[in-house]
Amino acid sequence: MTERVQWLKSQAETPAPTGPGAIDDPLALRRKFPPVRMLPNTWVLKIGGQSIMDRGRDAVQPILEQLIEARRRGINFILGVGGGTRARHVYSLGLDLDLPTAVLARLGAAVPVQNARMLHMLLAEHGGIMCYVDHFELLPMFLNAGSIPIVPGMPTFEYWEKSPETGRIPPHRTDAGVYLLGEFLGARGVLFIKDEDGLYTDDPKKNPDAEFVPEITAGELLASGQDELIVERVVLEYMQRAAQVREIRFINGLKDGAVLDALEGGTGGSVIRAD
Amino acid sequence: MSQSPHDDGRLHLDTGLMRESLVSEKLGRRTHSDQVRRMVPDVNMIAVGGRSIMDRGAAAILPLVDEIVECKADHRMIVGVGGGTRARHTQQIGLDLGLPNGGLARIVGGSEEQNRDILQFLLAPNGGIVFIKDEIQNLQLQLNDGMIPVTIGQPPYHCWEPPPSEGVLPENGPDVGLFLMAEVFGARSVTYVRDVDGVLDGDVSSGAELETIPRISARELLERGLPGLPVERELLRTLDRARSVNAVRVINGLVPGQLRAALAGEDVGTLIHNDRYTQESAA
Repeated sequence: MTERVQWLKSQAETPAPTGPGAIDDPLALRRKFPPVRMLPNTWVLKIGGQSIMDRGRDAVQPILEQLIEARRRGINFILGVGGGTRARHVYSLGLDLDLPTAVLARLGAAVPVQNARMLHMLLAEHGGIMCYVDHFELLPMFLNAGSIPIVPGMPTFEYWEKSPETGRIPPHRTDAGVYLLGEFLGARGVLFIKDEDGLYTDDPKKNPDAEFVPEITAGELLASGQDELIVERVVLEYMQRAAQVREIRFINGLKDGAVLDALEGGTGGSVIRAD
Repeated sequence: MSQSPHDDGRLHLDTGLMRESLVSEKLGRRTHSDQVRRMVPDVNMIAVGGRSIMDRGAAAILPLVDEIVECKADHRMIVGVGGGTRARHTQQIGLDLGLPNGGLARIVGGSEEQNRDILQFLLAPNGGIVFIKDEIQNLQLQLNDGMIPVTIGQPPYHCWEPPPSEGVLPENGPDVGLFLMAEVFGARSVTYVRDVDGVLDGDVSSGAELETIPRISARELLERGLPGLPVERELLRTLDRARSVNAVRVINGLVPGQLRAALAGEDVGTLIHNDRYTQESAA
C-alpha cells in the first residue's frame, strides 16, 4: 500500500497532458467562421396546442389545407406542435405531488407527441412524416421529396430540465423547442400559429382593453413587465444571443389565409425581434 | 376532473392551470416549492473528469477504479464521465468548420461514450454496466443487482442546446448533465473527481502554490470569476437553482482515499453549496 501511495503521489505531481486540449480563442474562431445555415430556405412552424389543437377540427382543418397548398407551391417547412390543456392537466397533477421540474418536463413531453401523431395521420396522404431527434439528419431528404416533416415541439431535455428560479413548471416547453430547432437549422424563419392576431399589451382573452402590438423587441417585451407573455420567457432570452434566427412571428391561424400568406413572406401578425 | 364546455372554442380540462399562461411569473410564485420528492435518494453520483483523470491514462484511472470497487461495499453509486481532450478537439474542429451551437452540442457526446465504455470495461468484473438515458427509471433494478452503472455526462439537449450566455461554446457539459441526473434522483451526494485538491484559491495556471477553498457557495464562486475552475461555470448556476441536491464536492482522484472519505461525508476537497444547503446545516 505504501508503495502504491508513493507512486500515486508522484503521478499527482505530473502535469495534465498538453496538446489540443484547450480551445484556442473560440471567440475569434466563431467570429471568423459564423455558423453555417443548414436549411436556410425552410420555415419552422409551430401550431399552438391550447390555441389551435384543443379547438379541434374547426381550427385545425383550415390550417392544414393552407399547409398542403404551401407545400404544393414548393414552400419548404417543418411543422412543430405544442401540448395544450392535457399538458396543463398533467403539470397540475405533478405539482400537487411535489414532483421535480425534470419529471414534469418528462410528463409534458408526451402531449406534443400525441398532437404530432394526430397531425401526421391527417397529413400522411400529403407527405406528412413523423420526425424524432434521430431523424433530423434525414430532413434534407424529406424536404427534397416534397414531404412535410412533423416534429413534437418539446425539446429532449426531459429528466435533464433545470428548475426555474421560481416555481416548478419546466421553462423549456414547445415554444423553446421549436425556436431552438429553427436556430440550429438556420431556418428561413420561425412562425407561431395561434388563435389571436399577435401580440397584445395584455392577454386579450382576459382583458378586452388590451392593445395590439405589431412589432416589439425581445428586450422591450422582457422589460415591459408583462406577466402573461405570448411566448416562453427563455425564447426571448435566447433570441438576444442567438446567431441565426433573430426574429419570430405570431399569426392568427383562425383567420382565412393567414398561414399561407405568412409562408409566402407576408408580414401579418406580430413580430418580435432581437435587440 | 371534468371537461369544461366549449365556452371559448377550446376544449379544456378543468384543472388549476386551465386557461393559465404558463409563462406567468405570478403562476410561478403560486406553484413554487423548495422541497420536491426524491426518486433514488440513497445513490451517490461519482463524476469522473475526462481531461483530469481519463486523459492521464492507467496511472490515474486504475487506482480510482479500485477505489470505486472498494466503496461499493458501503455505498450505492452511479459513475459518470466526461469526454476530456477529445471532446475539446471535436469542438475546436467544429468551430473551425462553422457548425452551429446545437451542432457542437450534438457531436461531443461521442467522446464521452468512449470514456464510458473504457470505465465500464474496467469495472465490468465488479458489476460495471453501461447506463443510457432511457434507463433512468430502471436505476433501482441495477443498483439492487449490485451493479455499478456507468454513464456519459452530456445532457441530451442535442440541437436544442441554448445559445451560451458567456462565450461561444455550449455551456451545458458533462458536469451539468451529471448534476441534473443526480438532482432528479435526489441523490445522497455528488462528487467531482479531478486532479486537483478541490477549488484552488487563485489562478491555477500561474504555477503558484495555491490554497484549497474548503467550502464556498456556488454564487460566490461565480462572482469571484476564478480562472481555471475545475467544474463548469454553468454547473454553479444550475446548483444555485437546484431543489434536491444542494451541494457538490470536488476532490482529488489522484490521492488515494479521498473518494472514500468524500462518500463517508468527511471534509475533503471543496464543498460547493447553494443557499438551501446553508439552511439545512443551520437547522
